[in-house]
Parts: sequence; C-alpha cells; structure tokens
Amino acid sequence: MTSSTAQRKNQVLAVKLGLLALLMFGFGYALSPFYAAFCQWLGIDRADASLTRPGTSIRVEFDVNVAPGLPVAMQALDGVVTAQAGGLLKSRFVLRNDSDQALTVRAVPSFAPVRAAGLLQKLECFCFDALTLQARETREVTVVLLIAEQLPLEMGAATLSYSLQRGAAAGAG
Amino acid sequence: MSTVIKAADTVDTHGVDTHGGHHAEHHAGWVRWLYATNHKDIGTLYLWFAFAMFITGGVMALGIRAELFQPGLQFWQPEFFNQLTTLHGIIMVFGAIMPAFTGLANWMLPLMLGAPDMAFARMNNWSFWLLPPAAALLLISLFVPGGAAAGGWTLYPPLSAQAGMGMDLAIFSIHLLGLSSIMGSINIITTILNMRAPGMTLLKMPLFAWTSLVTAYLLIAVAPVLAGAVTMLLTDRHFGTHFFSAAGGGDPVLFQHIFWFFGHPEVYIMALPAFGIVSQIIPTFARKPLFGYVSMVYATCSIAILSFMVWGHHMFSVGMPATAQLFFMFLTMLIAVPTGVKVFNWIATMWQGSLTFETPMLFAIGFVCLFTVGGFSGLVLSIAPVDTQMHDTYYVVAHFHYVLVAGALFSLFAAVYYWLPKWTGYMYHEGRGKLHFWWSMVWFNVTFFPMHFLGLAGMPRRIPDYALQFTDFNTVASVGAFCFGLGQLLFFYNVIHTIRGGVGPAPASPWEGGNTLEWEVASPAPHHTWESPPDIETVRRGLIAQAVEEKP
Repeated sequence: MTSSTAQRKNQVLAVKLGLLALLMFGFGYALSPFYAAFCQWLGIDRADASLTRPGTSIRVEFDVNVAPGLPVAMQALDGVVTAQAGGLLKSRFVLRNDSDQALTVRAVPSFAPVRAAGLLQKLECFCFDALTLQARETREVTVVLLIAEQLPLEMGAATLSYSLQRGAAAGAG
Repeated sequence: MSTVIKAADTVDTHGVDTHGGHHAEHHAGWVRWLYATNHKDIGTLYLWFAFAMFITGGVMALGIRAELFQPGLQFWQPEFFNQLTTLHGIIMVFGAIMPAFTGLANWMLPLMLGAPDMAFARMNNWSFWLLPPAAALLLISLFVPGGAAAGGWTLYPPLSAQAGMGMDLAIFSIHLLGLSSIMGSINIITTILNMRAPGMTLLKMPLFAWTSLVTAYLLIAVAPVLAGAVTMLLTDRHFGTHFFSAAGGGDPVLFQHIFWFFGHPEVYIMALPAFGIVSQIIPTFARKPLFGYVSMVYATCSIAILSFMVWGHHMFSVGMPATAQLFFMFLTMLIAVPTGVKVFNWIATMWQGSLTFETPMLFAIGFVCLFTVGGFSGLVLSIAPVDTQMHDTYYVVAHFHYVLVAGALFSLFAAVYYWLPKWTGYMYHEGRGKLHFWWSMVWFNVTFFPMHFLGLAGMPRRIPDYALQFTDFNTVASVGAFCFGLGQLLFFYNVIHTIRGGVGPAPASPWEGGNTLEWEVASPAPHHTWESPPDIETVRRGLIAQAVEEKP
C-alpha cells in the first residue's frame, strides 16, 4: 500500500467518524421530541406548565391494600393524577372477586398527609357503601374528588389510600 | 473538515515521506510543545496536563475534606462548598482521568502497533491544545460573580438553568473538552484500524489497543450527546428555548435522561482503558500470556454495548414505571457478567505464574482487588429498591471512588511506572515506587471505606455540614484524604527523579515478561519509531509469546 492510498483510507475513515459524531449530536436533540412522544405513548406523567405555579395544582397518588386473607384483587387504574385547584378529579379502580362465592367488602380510605382530607372532598366514592361482589365478578369503581379552591403552597402532593376489608352488608360511608 | 484532511498529509504510513509531519523537532523550547505533532510529545503534554488537573482537583477534594473534618461550617460557606464538589468532579473526570488515558493512548498505541505516529498529527495537536483553555474556563469561573457551577457535575436543571455565569463558562468548557475528546477518538480509531503492523490482525493486537478502540467509539457516540445536552441548557438559559423548563412545555427530567445516556458510557470510558492497562501489566509480571484473550475482547465489547442501555439506574429515585426500573436493574446486573469474566481472567493469568511484585504489578493487583469492591457496591446500588435508600448518600460516593480512584487512577499509576523506563530511558527507584503504592493503598481505603458506613447510616452527599453522629467516620476519611494527597507528592518526586536519571539507564526491555512491540524499540523511545514497520518475524515472535498466534 503506498503512502497516499493509506492517507486516503485514513481520511475516509475520519470523515465517517466525524459524521457519526454529528449524527449523535443530532440524536441528543432528537431525544427531546422522542421523550414527549414516549411519555404520552406509555402514559407516564411528565412535567407540565401547571406544575410550575405552586398552589394551583396537586398531584394525588392512589394506593390500594387488601386485607390479608380476603380473596379479592384490587388495582388502581389511574395511579397518579394531577388536578387543578377548584377542579374535579376522577380515578378508577378495578375489583375482582377471586373466590367462588359472593363477598361483601368495604374500602376504608385514609389520606396522607391527613390534612389533605380537608382539601380533597369526596363527591362520589365506592367507599361510601359496602360492595357485594358476585363469585368471580370483576367490577370497575370510581372516586370523584373536588379539589379545594385554595391549595397551600407546600401541598404539592397527597396520597389517598384504600384498605379493602371484609364488610357487613349494611352501613354508610 | 479541511484541517483533518490536511493533517493527514503530515503523516506517512510506513515509508515514503517520513519527515513530513515532524516540523516539531526544528523548534526549541516551548515552541516545540506548542507546535507538537509527534505522538510522543503530545502524549507527554496530555500526561502532564492530566497530572496538573489531578493536583488541582485534588486540592479541591482536600478543601471538601477539610470542611467535613468536623460538623459545622469551618472554612467555607455552603455556596463555595458546592462549587468545590462540582468542579472537583468535572476536573477529575474531564481534566484528569480522560486526558491521562488519551495521553497514554497517544504515547503507546503507535509503539505497540508498530505505527510511525498517530494517523492525524496536526489534529492531534489541536485535540490537546483545546484542553488548557477548557481548564482555564473552569478555573476562571471560580472568580466570576456568583462563582463557579455549583449544581454538581451532573448539572441538573432547574438549578443549572438558574445559576450564574459560572455555569456558562462550565458549558463552554465542556464543549471544548468534548470536541477534544471526539478528535482524539477519531485519531485513535483511525490509527488502530488502519496502521497496525503487518501480521497483527485485530484479534491479535494488544488488549490496551482493544480497550482504547472501544473507548474511542464510546466517546464518539456519547460526547456529542453531552454537547447537545449542555447546548440545550445554554439556549434554555439565554435564548428562550424550553427544553428543560416545565413552564414552557419542557421537562427537567429529560435532561437527566440525556445526561445519563452520556453519563453511563462515560463510566466505561474511564474504566475500559484501565482494563486494557491491567491486561498488559499482569501477564508481564506473571510471565504468562493473558488468560482468555478473546473472552477479554468480547467482554470489553459487551460492556460497551450494555453501557448504552442502563442509564436509567442513575434515576431510580426520579420516578419511573416499575417495568422500566426492572429493565434498568436487570441490565445493570448483567454488566457484572463480562466484568466478572475480566476479573476471573486476570486472576487466572496470575495463577501459577512466576509472579514478581514490582510497582506496576502492585498497582495492577491493587486495581483488581479494589475495583472489584467498587463493582460489588455498584451491584448493590443496581438493586432498585436498595438504591431508593442509598441514592445521593455517601455510599454512592464510596462506590464511585472505588471505581475511579482505585480503578482508573491506580491503573494510571501502574501504567506510568510500567512505561516510565520506555519514556525516560531510566529506571525509577523501586523502593520509593512501592512506598507510593502501599501509601496510596492504605490511605485510599482509610479515606473511602468509611464512606460506605456513612452512606448506609444516611449521610447525604454534597453537603458542607452534617449531623453529629457522622463525625467519627468523617474525621477518619478526612485524615485519610490528606495523607493520600500527600502521598501523591511522592509520585511526582518519583517521576521527576526518574526523568533526571533515576537509578540508572533502562534497557530496551526492562521487564522480563514484556512481549509487546513497544519493548522492541530502544529506551528512551527515540523521537521517531517504526518509520518502517516492524518486520513480520518480530511481530510474530511477540504474538506467539502472547499466545495470540500459534507456534509454527
């Protein structure tokens, strides 16, 4: 191999590697729209403008627990929901009776921090009444919360947790 | 690109125009270094620059440890403390370790591959001379209004989007450092792929060349991504874009994804060359060929590929779907497999070898032991639910200092002692070399091992003050840090002493078990080496001794 063809080979490789570097620079930028599309596609909540004004929105996380021995599966379909002050928030849950007989269950709500209870008012909740699930029945239930008009600045997020207990057929929520 | 093409004119691959690229020798004094195109001169420049930055970053580390010697604020205000931690990180990563490895690649690759120089000598000069201005920008930023960047080396927005002009200087500095790395990598890849001695196929070249090659590819793939991220940060700060500003529809978490897409391969950019160095040194002092050469190559490549798929493990506590956490967690754990292969091979190389424990070997064995500790704490951190507890604690600080100080830095010390006879033509003082090793080994552990305990007990990183119960271990760590730092003056003394004659002239091949091509040239290596490529018999003899080629 003569000197000039060797140089030529080196130059071609250098240009290719330089182009690869440029391509990767562009890739860094491409991640921005990809990221937005990905989050939307996967349903991952991401930062949005409402979060930048403290006191105007709240992030509510839903947590579910089932009492030991109760053959019912419970899942929050909307695990994390962001809501505006003064607005309504709706979240869905799915309950499934895994046993072969009808069961009466009751969901006991609790807020963390506790004072969030005063800011998130339950307009409609499956926890108001005991629910009777037929054998092997799957049922979707909802909770609707009214967010207080004025949220304290430091109240960025709250958790509403439901514990599912074996319940009596009658009673009020 | 015209510069690149012109630069190629200056280097001749084997033969015709051998004086073309060597204007440097006509210059005397500092001009020789400014106009340097010789790979050995540039390698030397890189290594001294890296050492200067190591001392600079080290002094900052001592500033951090002085403040943390006891609780309360003694020396610095928190704002300045944060600048110290941030600059310490950036300077050690981009100013010390990476340039040191590039310097070694510059010095050693042409010698080990039988090439007359690096492929693009003038671009090589430019790659180096971008570094001093980049370092200057970082240091100047300490004195601008608002001080230097103080949001950690990761530069997360929104903090970094709101910081003062020190952040802009850091961004420009990172641009220069990135540009330098990319050009250095182009040079390394071209030299390795196109300029090897006849008979030295890819799967027969020294492992240091392999790890340099893979590292250079990693750099070309991720340095531009970091450049993109900091450019977005810059335009967010000054030109009204909203990549990372939620108010404008962006997302600060996006920065973390982009940063760690760069940042995790960066970890291997600092580790793979160390693997290469240790894979040269251990066979030499075990007087046995490297065990499992091909598996070493495959392990290097698999680590590099996996490094692109694990960035999310730096973000477990940011919040991501459980599926994504599991994905990143399992892939991260998978990296332990090729790394385990490497550690196994190093041990198997030593097994039943005729071991001697000169300073390079001591540092290499120290590397294997302590890097493994760092690897294991990394495995602990890869467990998503555990990481939620350990995130941003001193456990993480302990982990990455085991990987980067006892890993990358120890391998660099090993490399310097190993090749110093070749560079200077003199032998270093073995006793003082060993003292440097044992001193570093002991005080490194005194400094960083207690940090595991601090982290497990919940001490957060990047804070100038801490709760009283953390006092004892912090005091121990600070004493260790000052002693470790002091010991590096001995390293400096050892190098200067060797340059000035050491304990006597070194033969061409001072180590009994050295079989790679650099030991075929005289010590000190003449200004021009392998102007005509090594003959096929010389190459083959070395390859057979390394057991990468079968005996005829």
